[in-house]
Amino acid sequence: MADFFNLIRNENMKTFRRPRLYVMLGLIVGLIVIISGIWAFNDNSFSMWEVSMVETTTLFWIVTIFAVVVASSSVAEEFSTGTIKLLLIRPWSRSKILLSKYISSLLFAFFMTVIFLLALLLVNWLLFDAFSGGNSQQAAMLFTELGGHSFFEYIMRYFGLTFLNTVMTVTISFMLSTIFRSNILAIGLALFIEIVVNNALQLLALIPNKWVDYLLFVHLNLTKYAGSNVSTEDGMTLGFSLSVLAVYYVLFIALTWYIFNKRDVAS
Amino acid sequence: MEDSIVRIQNVTKRIGNRTIIDKLTLEVPRGEVFGFLGPNGSGKTTTIRMMVGLMSITSGDILIDGHSISNDFEKAIGHVGAIVENPEMYKYLTGYENLIHFARMIPGVSAHRVKEVVALVGMEGRIHDKVKTYSLGMRQRLGVAQAILHKPKLLILDEPTNGLDPAGIRELRDYLRGLSRQEGVAVFVSSHLLSEMELMCDRVAIIQSGKLIDIRNVQQSRAASEAAGRILIEVDNPGAAIEALAAAGQQAESTEHQGLLVIVGDKEKAAAANAALVQAGIKVYGIRAEVKSLEDQFLEMTGGESVG
Repeated sequence: MADFFNLIRNENMKTFRRPRLYVMLGLIVGLIVIISGIWAFNDNSFSMWEVSMVETTTLFWIVTIFAVVVASSSVAEEFSTGTIKLLLIRPWSRSKILLSKYISSLLFAFFMTVIFLLALLLVNWLLFDAFSGGNSQQAAMLFTELGGHSFFEYIMRYFGLTFLNTVMTVTISFMLSTIFRSNILAIGLALFIEIVVNNALQLLALIPNKWVDYLLFVHLNLTKYAGSNVSTEDGMTLGFSLSVLAVYYVLFIALTWYIFNKRDVAS
Repeated sequence: MEDSIVRIQNVTKRIGNRTIIDKLTLEVPRGEVFGFLGPNGSGKTTTIRMMVGLMSITSGDILIDGHSISNDFEKAIGHVGAIVENPEMYKYLTGYENLIHFARMIPGVSAHRVKEVVALVGMEGRIHDKVKTYSLGMRQRLGVAQAILHKPKLLILDEPTNGLDPAGIRELRDYLRGLSRQEGVAVFVSSHLLSEMELMCDRVAIIQSGKLIDIRNVQQSRAASEAAGRILIEVDNPGAAIEALAAAGQQAESTEHQGLLVIVGDKEKAAAANAALVQAGIKVYGIRAEVKSLEDQFLEMTGGESVG
């Protein structure tokens, strides 16, 4: 049996040898540089942490979308180009091939998150803190829910929780692209989740019924726990949210693998 | 060691309540070039997809080198190299990266072997270019290359000559025959180009509507049709020729073609007929044995259904 690691290497090769990767990297780093640049040009009395937080909340969804694009095309494109036929006639079970694709998709999401974080901290440190010393007093006032963490700790917690959201979104789009073999549908639905549903959450919260607490979408945005493990907004705990997400996660993964194994490759 | 590399045992494929393959049973010995022939929609591609595990089998089983493709997939498929329909490769990768990709998935394929295969299909010059710049013929060669990387015992090819020019077809044909003869690789090939199958295959199976109609030995059926001995004679005056032959004791019939007669018999009879015609002062333009091609036989068997 050849090394399973080789399958992941293959998937990574297919992700990283494509020009779209440079477009994605360019967009992420470029947007941070441009927004921070304009900000610093107008008024550089802010702290790097403050600018970083604002940029994370407004820009991070792009990282999620890119991760979704890569994850969903990982399966759907093999079907649409017909390469799936050459991939599945190797001495590997379908489950393992799908697993290699899933792991590679998550690795890519992680890679993009790290790039985003590094670019964010480096650019904002250079523009705001490195030469002017920054204004941490002002920042502290903005971080009302800092919860006794240092700025750096807070940001790391925030990224960790956001990354969990990205993992869930990637998993959902991975499932959709396996079921429907359509890139567009998977990416579209993931966009819908990221933008519309996250913003419509406040409306959902108005419904007093208990079942609302068990909806997937209520728990997709975990950043409300960035300051503390108990949300100041609705009193839910991080543990509860993670448990609900875990149930959905197992369900999605089981369905994805079941369908991929059952499917007749006909076209 | 088993004699047959492929055993298709009573295989049925149903989708909904449509039966696509109906109790198909076939065996392919090691090293044979086996043709799989049938009109469009007869179930050729479905059978091939079941053989490589891309489709599930409703009932029955397919054994490759003694391993069941449904229960022991990883072992069974390890002996198989295949191109299912067009050889679709990752267009944004180079030919070499594509081969490395597939080589990594199979144990024991070294970088040295990849180079060897590249040389074998004659692609050294362009292997480091992106696949999207390749012509169809080059993609086909790359397809063959990925199929033989691991030195399979069985090569399965679905419509391999689709879209190739005559030179490409000939090249592929010679290559497949060579593989079968020199390395003992069995080749299972489906095609709708009947004349191609005739040149390429040792035996040909004919299926229609998912059922096996017949299996023929190509060389034998050619010999048989020659022995049946219908001889065509082209003359300037068919009416007079029939009379002259009748006088010489031979029965001739006219055909639907103007000036073309047919007699039944062997070489000696043809020579005698010729002598009689010349003596009677009739011009003879040509004499040849009528050979029924596989295509004629095939059309007879399937009742003239289109085979495009």
